[in-house]
Amino acid sequence: MLLSFAQMLLSFAQWIQFTPLFTALRGSANVYPIIMSLHMVGLALFGGMILMTDLRLLGWAMRKRSIADVINQFRVPKRWGLLLTATCGILMAGSKAEEYYYNAFFRAKLILFAVVIVQELVFYRSVYANPAVLDRSPSVPGNAKLAAALSLLLWTSIACCGRGIGYIEPPLDKIHAQMQGIRDAALVPRGLYFLKGQDHPNVASAN
Amino acid sequence: MLLLQIESIADALNSSEWVFPITECFHIAAFAWSIGLIAAVDYRLLGFGIQHSKPSEVLRDTAPWTLLGLAVVLLSGPILFLSDVRMYLHNPSFVFKMYALAAAILFNYTIHRKVAQSDSSSQAARVVTAIVSLALWISVVFGGLFIAFA
Repeated sequence: MLLSFAQMLLSFAQWIQFTPLFTALRGSANVYPIIMSLHMVGLALFGGMILMTDLRLLGWAMRKRSIADVINQFRVPKRWGLLLTATCGILMAGSKAEEYYYNAFFRAKLILFAVVIVQELVFYRSVYANPAVLDRSPSVPGNAKLAAALSLLLWTSIACCGRGIGYIEPPLDKIHAQMQGIRDAALVPRGLYFLKGQDHPNVASAN
Repeated sequence: MLLLQIESIADALNSSEWVFPITECFHIAAFAWSIGLIAAVDYRLLGFGIQHSKPSEVLRDTAPWTLLGLAVVLLSGPILFLSDVRMYLHNPSFVFKMYALAAAILFNYTIHRKVAQSDSSSQAARVVTAIVSLALWISVVFGGLFIAFA
């Protein structure tokens, strides 16, 4: 079951990267780094707004302004920043989808996104949805501070994982060759390899 | 002599494969931090969100944190640079980035600060200042990223 889910993801990655848009993107020398730069610009625009919100919730910055004011005022710019970063991120991931599928940092990043979504859902009602309630208590409630600390930690980790993706280059050629070998092995009886004077691919990959 | 010293620093930095990536993470997190906060002031100058506060208030609220972010950027940056001085000096993107960075910092602490501090500055002055500021900082980011592609 788990294996077939992984295979589905892999097939999806292999299919999507050969759609016309992503094929064109991958082929162009200049567009890719421009999208990457815009991804970084978006990161700054989005990250800065998240930071201000979290610092206010922690009670470290802008203590003279109400929490509601800070959260509500930064909401719209924050969303535009997220939109820019996410769009560029999807374009980058899509054009190298198969490679990214094997990339450990990309996998970690996706898991962290899932954790961020859970974090938002858990704290949505008590912190983000009605910040005016937080302002009524004499000091920032503990769960709001926890939400802010988690948010800072998670988003920083996501940024670092994003950088990490660039450090790994999964050897696609080798992986393809190995998979071809496994497919061949399934079709060709072991004896034939012996007759051809070759190692069976399963044996060769085990070595 | 200086070159020899730089080489030995580079060797020390390159002796562990973790020094560069970890320094880079600090560099990236801190640039997002500082440029994002400068952008918050620019958004206010442009009238895009954050309307409840005056520009001077947004500036005052963000300034210490912007400075902290810039400090981390300006400390981690030279460490990255020293790991391969020759490559960076010959990299046109890096050279461009340094000029853009100098211009951006200079602009930020002179004209940008003046316009944001004065709550009576004209709408035109605000918009122009915000656009120049955003353009300068975006050039710095582009210059940094294109180092890897130059």
